[in-house]
Amino acid sequence: MAMVHAWRAARVTPLGELHAPPRMTAVLLRLSVQVVLVWSLWRGLYAQTGTTAGLDRDQAVTYAVLAVLASRLRELDQYTGRDTVLQHMHFGTIVYWYLRPLPPQRYYALRALGEQLYGLAWALGGYAVCLAVGAVEPPRSAAVAGVFLLSMLLGQWVLYYVMLVLDQLCFFTLRNNAAMLILLFAQNLLAGVYAPLWFFPDWFITMSAFLPFQATLSVPLSLYVGRIPLSDAALQIAVQAAWVVALALFTRWVWRRAAQRVISQGG
Amino acid sequence: MSLKALRIVWRVTALNFRAQLEYRTEFLLMVAIGAVWQVSVIVFATVLLTRFTGMGGWDSSDVLLIPATRMLAHGLFVLFLGRMHWAGRQIQEGRIDVYLLRPMPVHRQVQLAYFPTNAIGDLTVAAGLMVGALSRSDLDWTAGRITYLIAAVLGGMLLEAALFTVVASAALRFPAADYWGRWLEELLGTFGSYPLNVLPRAVGGLLTYGLPLAFVAYFPAAVLTGHDTAVPYWLAAASPLLGLLAYLGARLLWRWALRHYSGVNG
Repeated sequence: MAMVHAWRAARVTPLGELHAPPRMTAVLLRLSVQVVLVWSLWRGLYAQTGTTAGLDRDQAVTYAVLAVLASRLRELDQYTGRDTVLQHMHFGTIVYWYLRPLPPQRYYALRALGEQLYGLAWALGGYAVCLAVGAVEPPRSAAVAGVFLLSMLLGQWVLYYVMLVLDQLCFFTLRNNAAMLILLFAQNLLAGVYAPLWFFPDWFITMSAFLPFQATLSVPLSLYVGRIPLSDAALQIAVQAAWVVALALFTRWVWRRAAQRVISQGG
Repeated sequence: MSLKALRIVWRVTALNFRAQLEYRTEFLLMVAIGAVWQVSVIVFATVLLTRFTGMGGWDSSDVLLIPATRMLAHGLFVLFLGRMHWAGRQIQEGRIDVYLLRPMPVHRQVQLAYFPTNAIGDLTVAAGLMVGALSRSDLDWTAGRITYLIAAVLGGMLLEAALFTVVASAALRFPAADYWGRWLEELLGTFGSYPLNVLPRAVGGLLTYGLPLAFVAYFPAAVLTGHDTAVPYWLAAASPLLGLLAYLGARLLWRWALRHYSGVNG
């Protein structure tokens, strides 16, 4: 029975996507065009440059294309279904999360798991195509592939908690669209989504090392392309694991505080 | 638009502005997000300019003119016509049905839905970058060049508005088309700020004739700085005019789509 509940919660957002063919078509087209554009851009930029910031052309192209694919992992549209925490707080429907037989934190986790698995299917499909056409390089060894998979798993785990913190913020502020946008921007910039962090100035890289964002994407992709050598992988993975533990404890505490702020309409 | 209509627009805008001031922290953060979004474009462009000098045969002072033009055009778009970007959300929430019952054009009501506080930040950073770009430029800024630059910024604003109006028109029929708007914004931010001749010819062609992103800032900057592009000079020089024509066309499409609108629930 618990498995049935878990399955139903996990498929909420992917079902919304599957029932909207224009959105599915848009995702396919967007992913394809974005990969082609990013691949072309980085190859064009490297046309008259050798290795820069420790990345050669193939490494930079592989990093950029994988970043596009990885961005699919959590990009489902919850807003259309009025299912973001921000909307639930605004419309007062958040109270239903607390009336169900499933605790809100478990519902949230299951839903996020469903979204990430659905996104993973897209990312893996895209990766297979990119690998087949030579748009990305394969991992340099089985060890690199194994370390990358472990690091990516931890990265997605950290990303889950980062997104959860953003959603939990909605419990404490009446209007927070701007704060959400700023934090999302920080997540994308400091995770190396816009451009590999290695291209940024040293002070920027040092600052990023003290924040959880680079653990979500920059670390696994840098391991994949070989910018972080295998000898440093253990330390980086340990840091990712530490972020998972720290954020798990923090969000658990915030869930308890958040529950105290939820009131049904009328008090 | 009559004088009375203008007065109503002004009063609604003033009320919207006061409404935004209700939550002061949110107001300041919205100003910040506009600035932060623009800064992200600058950061990306700066990183590329620093690491890959001589991008596409352009020196950095010439390249700077591209993001400066695009960002100023974007800031003006956000301020005057930017609610088109959120029209999809308004359609999904069924607000268009309400707008149709009121004695004011639907397009104007969409634009007056709220005050775009983030435009303050957008325009502040964009104006700063434009001043920086002009001060670093070695060009002789004659009256003709300045006039063309102003026309290019306005044309860029109208072209961006045209693109979002097309998406909003599609959303009137397919509400999920709103998704395309977010992608469009991402594409404009990522690929609109540097010379497109670094891309393969086919990809550059796609961003010229498929999605006319090149006409927003790249072609006008090329005309101003005397760089060759993949299109004839007259076509590149006509970018501001194309922006105007595209916007007029998009408004006709919006009117047609609105006539065929049947509500989000059928």
